[in-house]
Amino acid sequence: MTPALDVLDADVVRSGRRAQRRRSAVVTSVLALVVLGLCVLTLMIGSYAVPAPDVIASLLRLKDDAPTDFVVRDLRLPTVATGLGVGIALGVAGVVFQKLLGNPLASPDFVGVSSGASVLAVSSIVLLDAGSTVVSGSALAGAVLTAALIYVLAWRDGISGYRFVLIGIGVSQFMLAIIGYIVARADVYEAREAMTWLVGTVGQAGTGELRTLLVALVVLVPTALLLERPLRALELGDDAATALGSRVEVSRLALLALSIVLIGLSVAVAGPIMFVALIAGPIAQRLTGPGGSLLAAGLVGAVIVLGADLVAQHLVPAPLPTGVVTGIVGAPYLIWLLATVNREGRGG
Amino acid sequence: MTSHDLRATNLTLGYASTDIVSDLDVTIPDGRITVIVGANACGKSTLLRGLARLLRPRGGEVLLDGTSVQDMRSIDVAKVLGLLPQTPVAPDGITVGDLVGRGRYPHQGWFRRWSAEDDRAVAAALEATGTADLVDRQIAELSGGQRQRVWVAMALAQDTDLLLLDEPTTYLDINHQVELLDLLTDLNRASAKTVVIVLHDLNLACRYADHIIAMKQGAIVAEGSPREVVTAAVVTDVFGLACEVVPDPVSGTPMVVPRGRHHAAREVVEALA
Repeated sequence: MTPALDVLDADVVRSGRRAQRRRSAVVTSVLALVVLGLCVLTLMIGSYAVPAPDVIASLLRLKDDAPTDFVVRDLRLPTVATGLGVGIALGVAGVVFQKLLGNPLASPDFVGVSSGASVLAVSSIVLLDAGSTVVSGSALAGAVLTAALIYVLAWRDGISGYRFVLIGIGVSQFMLAIIGYIVARADVYEAREAMTWLVGTVGQAGTGELRTLLVALVVLVPTALLLERPLRALELGDDAATALGSRVEVSRLALLALSIVLIGLSVAVAGPIMFVALIAGPIAQRLTGPGGSLLAAGLVGAVIVLGADLVAQHLVPAPLPTGVVTGIVGAPYLIWLLATVNREGRGG
Repeated sequence: MTSHDLRATNLTLGYASTDIVSDLDVTIPDGRITVIVGANACGKSTLLRGLARLLRPRGGEVLLDGTSVQDMRSIDVAKVLGLLPQTPVAPDGITVGDLVGRGRYPHQGWFRRWSAEDDRAVAAALEATGTADLVDRQIAELSGGQRQRVWVAMALAQDTDLLLLDEPTTYLDINHQVELLDLLTDLNRASAKTVVIVLHDLNLACRYADHIIAMKQGAIVAEGSPREVVTAAVVTDVFGLACEVVPDPVSGTPMVVPRGRHHAAREVVEALA
């Protein structure tokens, strides 16, 4: 520990850290631009095509052009807002779960939190013919109850990520069975509606649910960014996090609650769009370099959902629910993940 | 280094329905290397976790400079007292530099994120543990010995006057065990850092400890210098092992030679009979 070496090394440490931070900042900015581009693109294309300058003019209210304004603001903007909001919510919630539980499989859509939200949301749609507040509330309640159920079942002197994932898969199957029962009982028209909803699509958003999600995002995304600091300690395990001076229980509870609310509200808006929460975090980490960031994960989530919706609406012969496209992209990733997790002997 | 006073009074610790450590009093000598030894499940790791406030006491208290650690802000404790747990978790894809940097957590805040002081502390920790050339490597690529040194580097980066380590040599071969204990001794000698280690190997414990605490069934059986504590009688009591204690040919500290039931030379058996 001679001083001369320290100075030299401190420079190396500083430049390494700055390079990493720069890369993360560049990637995040590029992702933000891609998201913006996808938003504009979604507003442009369709049976009534609107050129990009007109889209921007309409959004910024630079000129009055009734037909364009109607198409851009009333028809397509809700879809864009949904894709953006749901994508960010899924991306952030997914990566928080994965980091908290230290397992790439521990995303809320994989362990049954999304299915739990769906059970109550579908019930309220099919059985109660409920309005938007009730659907939002039911999905939220479903997500909270399911997460609590998994937590209690997986608790044994603490939570291990592996046990959480396995029990989550069990709970997920249970929820899917209940959904099957509800759909089977519904009449044909309702069942078809429920099935579309269950695959998850951004085109179906109710105004009330959407507004709730967007307001929640304005509050919860900054909160998540503040909680990224304790999350970086929690990732090292409870003991190490406590030794570093982090208040483990409080931080974990806050992070879990935040993710569960995001999942519940996004399910209420767009149904359970599968695989987005699972893949957004790992993709963001590939891009930003080791460490990753919640913001980048949220933006990747938005890119996936907006991109998948563009494909589902315009690149296939007949429009599809968004979830079909994310499923086709996400499932092979899941298989790859399972294969590599086992090969490296981790996963728990 | 400022001097500190870490002690426990009437400390009772446990998990679920069982008390592991009951009504224990201990004072950790300041500026020295203390090694806690004992058989499996004797409560030595539990005691260490209790001292580092990883476990809430069921009775009694742990005092750091006269204040109960439970009453202090976590982050204030973490600036003075560091702990390397038995099985810390390395997040997926994390690099050595990033991991060691996380040791700076208690010195940073919501607004004060990273300073030149942090860079210096990380660099010093990398340098001291000989891991400076690994700084950009991923943890997953490292050998067990390298990985353990990186974890120690993270604990060093925390820059605390007291450092507690829970069985830091477990996954290391004998060479790396000695290297790690030499490193901890260097740190102790260079800056009077107080070091507390839970260790399985009695002979290494005798060699490196200034102060040994021998535990059995949640209580302290003996404590003091290795020469005072590690006698055949104490080892037999604590570990239930019949043994001889001879001077270590290198350090002169006590060295435990187990008897066992086989392989004893004939003249030894006769002499003992």
